[in-house]
Amino acid sequence: MATSEGHIFSGLDTALAGLRLQVLEMGGLVVDQVTTAVRALLEYDREAAELVLARERQVNAYDTAIETASFELMARQSPLASDLRGVVAIARTVTDLERAGDEAKKIARFAIATMTQSGGDSTAPVQRHLRHMAQLSARMMRAAIEALDRGDASVAHDVARLDLELDREFESALRQLMTVAMENSRLLRSTIGTVLALKSLERIGDHAKNVAEHVVFLVSGDDVRHARSGEGDPDGRPAAH
Amino acid sequence: MQTTTENTMNEPIVAHRESGRSTVQVVLDGERRAASSDAPVKARAAGLNFYYGSMQALKALDIDIRERQVTALIGPSGCGKSTFLRCFNRMHDLTPFTRYEGSITLQPDNVNLVSKDVDPIEVRMRIGMVFQKPNPFPKTIFENVAYGLRVRGMRSKALIEEHVEKALRDSAIWDEVKDRLQQSGLSLSGGQQQRLCIARALATNPEILLFDEPTSALDPIATARIEELIVGLRERVTVLIVTHNMQQAARVSDYTAFMYLGELIEFDATSKLFTNPSKKATEDYITGRYG
Repeated sequence: MATSEGHIFSGLDTALAGLRLQVLEMGGLVVDQVTTAVRALLEYDREAAELVLARERQVNAYDTAIETASFELMARQSPLASDLRGVVAIARTVTDLERAGDEAKKIARFAIATMTQSGGDSTAPVQRHLRHMAQLSARMMRAAIEALDRGDASVAHDVARLDLELDREFESALRQLMTVAMENSRLLRSTIGTVLALKSLERIGDHAKNVAEHVVFLVSGDDVRHARSGEGDPDGRPAAH
Repeated sequence: MQTTTENTMNEPIVAHRESGRSTVQVVLDGERRAASSDAPVKARAAGLNFYYGSMQALKALDIDIRERQVTALIGPSGCGKSTFLRCFNRMHDLTPFTRYEGSITLQPDNVNLVSKDVDPIEVRMRIGMVFQKPNPFPKTIFENVAYGLRVRGMRSKALIEEHVEKALRDSAIWDEVKDRLQQSGLSLSGGQQQRLCIARALATNPEILLFDEPTSALDPIATARIEELIVGLRERVTVLIVTHNMQQAARVSDYTAFMYLGELIEFDATSKLFTNPSKKATEDYITGRYG
């Protein structure tokens, strides 16, 4: 957040900078969790999947540490205006990052199951979709986190646009998988797993979109979380600035 | 939106930040300044009672003041926090019919500050004080700071100048007064006068600096400057501060003591006391339910 430094009382700068650094680190870790989990699934890379599962603890540790630090900052520094919005935006972002991390964990578990269970692998027909959705969702999350760091609300539009693309990709992959399941009932179990992995990627995109909305709140004070994309909130204000 | 390529996708986000280094530095500085429970004890109050005539104002206080940490005393008016603070430099000696019991021992030499056998002048040489209302002497800015040095026998002009400049720098007022050191201390604004008083107290290198509501007569910006100064002071001196402003205690202190009716109700790290106090009375006071 570009405006967080330079208070006369520098204790607030220190506390805000600490929070900001931690949320950036957590964001970087979660983006890497997503890309690593999908790589594990597509390349049958067991080591990568296990890395994701092992690092899930780190994601949770960031969640706890940032929550605690935000709580203490609010209690001790009495932040106001953009400082207050910054702390609230970070606390909300952490929740979304933690959930995105959970989705990466689910994908990694499915990757291990695919490698160890018999009964066929249904990911092959949707490999292209999986890869593309992983790229999209990681890109969205990365853009949202960088926007949070820069205090750049304009990125919300781009993330929302990418989310529409992600949703279309998800629908397309589902249609493809339905055909696979109808043609070969042996693959039903694997197909359900693949659908859930795709759904996880779609959810990661939603969390990235949420983070971008928290950035809008940070910059402008507008709560656009429940405004329909492109139509603005009930007061008629634009969805993003 | 920045375009993200496959190559940069796995690089940590933090490494992309141009100001990453300064942010890290700010955070590290903060960690260095965090409350340190292993800091040695600088002063220990044990079984401290204090009486104004037959009225007992302090009741069996036991509290450790840690070295180079900021300890805040909070509590409603009349709870005894200022009375406690004033015991540290024997200010009560000037009031008739007052009496101390118990001890406040200054470490490491274990001198009991409130003992009749200890000269209050000696105590005040080691413990400085800054009051609620700025009270510079009606002398020049330079002489305000130099006064204590002369009283302590410093004669060298060059040495006195050196000490005055250092004290003014340490009090974050040097840049504002360096070109008018011969003007009256009373010509300064309220916030500047208060920083001058801090410089006057610092000049003689006290071991403990006492602050009695040092910002209650100042505007918010002057208050922020003093608060920033207090936080920085703990690099070199132990600070004990009485404040009515709970947010101020939360911002500047490492430890906080909550007092009520002359008793110490709770004493803990500030981060604990203001987020999860152990006693209901503390909770009620800091949340504005009574007091």
